Amino acid sequence: MGTRALDRRSAMMIAAAGLLLPCSSLARASESIPERGLRFGLTPVFLTSDLELLGRLQAYLQHAIGVPVSLITRRTYQEITALLVSRQLDAAWICGYPFVTHRRDLQLVAVPVWRGRPLYQSYLIVDRDRHAEGLMDLRGDIHAFSDPDSNSGFLVTRAALAEHGLRPDAFFSRTFYTYGHRNVIRAVASGLAASGSVDGYVYGVVGELEPHLTAPTRVLHASELLGFPPIAAPRIPVDAGQLVALTDALLRMGDDPEGRAALHMLRLDGFTSEDASLFDPIAAKAALVAASG
Amino acid sequence: MRLDPRTWPIAAKVPLAVAVLMMLVGVVLSERVLARLNETQEMHVRDLAQSYLDILSTSITQPILREDTWEVFEAITRAQDLSKGLRITEAIVTNATGHVIAASNPRQHPIGSIVAVPDGGSPGSQPFRFEAGADIANATRVLAYPGRTVGVIHAAFDTSHLAVERREVLMTLIVTNGAVTLILAAAGWLLVTRMMAPIRVLSKHLGAAQEGYATPVPEPRIARSGDEFRHLFGSYNALVRSMHEREDLARKLFDEQRLGSLGRLASALAHEINNPLGGLFNAMATLKTHGHHAAVRNNALGLLERGLVGIRDVVRTTLAVHRQETAGRSISAKDIADLRLLIVAEARRKSVTVTISNAMHGDLPLPSTPIRQALLNLLLNAVAAAPPGSEVKLDAVRDGDVLVLAVADRGGGIPEGTVGILTGNDTSPPLRTGGGLGLWTTRRIVNELHGRIEVSLPSQGGTVIRIAIPIERPIEELPHVA
Repeated sequence: MGTRALDRRSAMMIAAAGLLLPCSSLARASESIPERGLRFGLTPVFLTSDLELLGRLQAYLQHAIGVPVSLITRRTYQEITALLVSRQLDAAWICGYPFVTHRRDLQLVAVPVWRGRPLYQSYLIVDRDRHAEGLMDLRGDIHAFSDPDSNSGFLVTRAALAEHGLRPDAFFSRTFYTYGHRNVIRAVASGLAASGSVDGYVYGVVGELEPHLTAPTRVLHASELLGFPPIAAPRIPVDAGQLVALTDALLRMGDDPEGRAALHMLRLDGFTSEDASLFDPIAAKAALVAASG
Repeated sequence: MRLDPRTWPIAAKVPLAVAVLMMLVGVVLSERVLARLNETQEMHVRDLAQSYLDILSTSITQPILREDTWEVFEAITRAQDLSKGLRITEAIVTNATGHVIAASNPRQHPIGSIVAVPDGGSPGSQPFRFEAGADIANATRVLAYPGRTVGVIHAAFDTSHLAVERREVLMTLIVTNGAVTLILAAAGWLLVTRMMAPIRVLSKHLGAAQEGYATPVPEPRIARSGDEFRHLFGSYNALVRSMHEREDLARKLFDEQRLGSLGRLASALAHEINNPLGGLFNAMATLKTHGHHAAVRNNALGLLERGLVGIRDVVRTTLAVHRQETAGRSISAKDIADLRLLIVAEARRKSVTVTISNAMHGDLPLPSTPIRQALLNLLLNAVAAAPPGSEVKLDAVRDGDVLVLAVADRGGGIPEGTVGILTGNDTSPPLRTGGGLGLWTTRRIVNELHGRIEVSLPSQGGTVIRIAIPIERPIEELPHVA
């Protein structure tokens, strides 16, 4: 599909977009086994060629914290979440949905700032020429979700259906997971799926870097603003000193040239400290879904 | 050129045959080349298709089991990128029941739609359909895991570039074969024309020979020919020489016949003169001995006078013949009457009466000498054939523009072969028949006067030979008979 047309720079940008959204899995994981130091978990978002972004991020963190940093990636977000909750990682970039699900076991480290706010939206996308007004017009569709642990790529749509007392498998004729927001866009663009649930931040970045991918699609509905996928750590830190250093490094990332370069590749403004209540709307959706069965 | 090929000239037939043979060879060769090309193309496409299906089936078997639509779709996309040599137009993956899991073109084959499993869709089977010259090849792979059908891959490949290649090869073959055929046909035409040149020379000479002017093939022309035709020309020239010799012989025979006639005329003249000579000498002896007797003298003088008158008549006739020979270019009644003098001696010897009834008036613009010779020959023949005491009749009559001369005898009838000599068109000398030289001469004379000879055998017996000679026509030189 579109990957062939991607140059290296574009690929990195996509990877960068995915890096900040642990709920998505844009590509296969690259893995490094740490001996000691800080273990930082990332959802498997990197293309094999995006080592430059990984390298910059790793170099910046090592420089800022002063200890060796290992970047840990896995195929699905579920695996990263499991590693984090079981304290095998010092910290990880995860999605708001698993954060609220594992609220008791996790603490908030930092939240990315995108377009000046630590917020983003979930998009419901359809074919550009399709006549539809809202979610309710999509009954009987083949629908593409990103990941069952994704807020924007699953939970938002799932919760919207639950508000009408509906379940995805009853409402849609068929659903499937692409394990990546970019793949959701590809699925809708190719016609494999008639509609899809996708991260608004990723959709915007892909639209900027690979307009041919988003061109055959349009945003049917944008959700309310929700908390941007955060960086979380186990409630009981693996190494409290390192965690403080990491938090400091993230919050001051914009002050460092290496950090700015990484932020630019990610199209982010920086990181900020936020109260966990930022994710209450997501928690409410999760509760609604849980209640609907 | 007529439609029947047997009537076509060989110079056309050979190039045509070459062209037809070349076309045949061209068709057979082209068919073989195209068949080989098809095999190669099919093998090429089949190998590529199999490797593509191998790649695809390896990566999708597990996702099919999980009904993982996106993984299958990704695998289809990746395999399409990997198999650059193959122009994949369509790839559809279904589960065991034929429901689409993912397709390269999802809008045409949405997830869940049914695609029929082709015939023979047993586990592990690999049907492949490629038709030479078609734009699309199809391949199907039934996936088994393990031993149980889990899904089917349907793939279609764009083979239009192969069809184009095939058309180009075909065009090249047609153009090349066409050019070679034309060149060979032209070469065949040239070759045959060259080879046939001596035959045409021979044919021309033979045609001329049929019209009576057989000429030998010129020596330089013979020298230019190959051994075979040199031999043929040599044989032909030998034949022409032989013909000329025979014609010379015939002319000599003709002349000799004429001399023979003159000899017979001279003999008749001598006879006519000799007959009264005995009486004259007797009368002279009587005068010498008994000249003083008036009665005897008068009687002897009378005898002398009659004898001399007879001799004078003979001499006159001879002079007349001589005059006609030199000056006469027209025939008169007297010419016909003179014939009696020429035949009378022979008639008397055979005791045959010759009756000449002449209904001609005035001169006719016909040469007298050849006609008289022809008539004399016929009369001599008739007298020879007539039994003693019978009558031989000559009728000469002008019938409009035709002089009709008829000689009738009461003999045993003219033999069939002899009639042939008189009326046939064969101009060859009458050597095979032995006698008949006079009749042959007669026929030749009449032919040259553009006349006709009819022979009839009347029921009362004998033979009637009728000569009809047209009168009103320019008199031609008749050097052979004059």
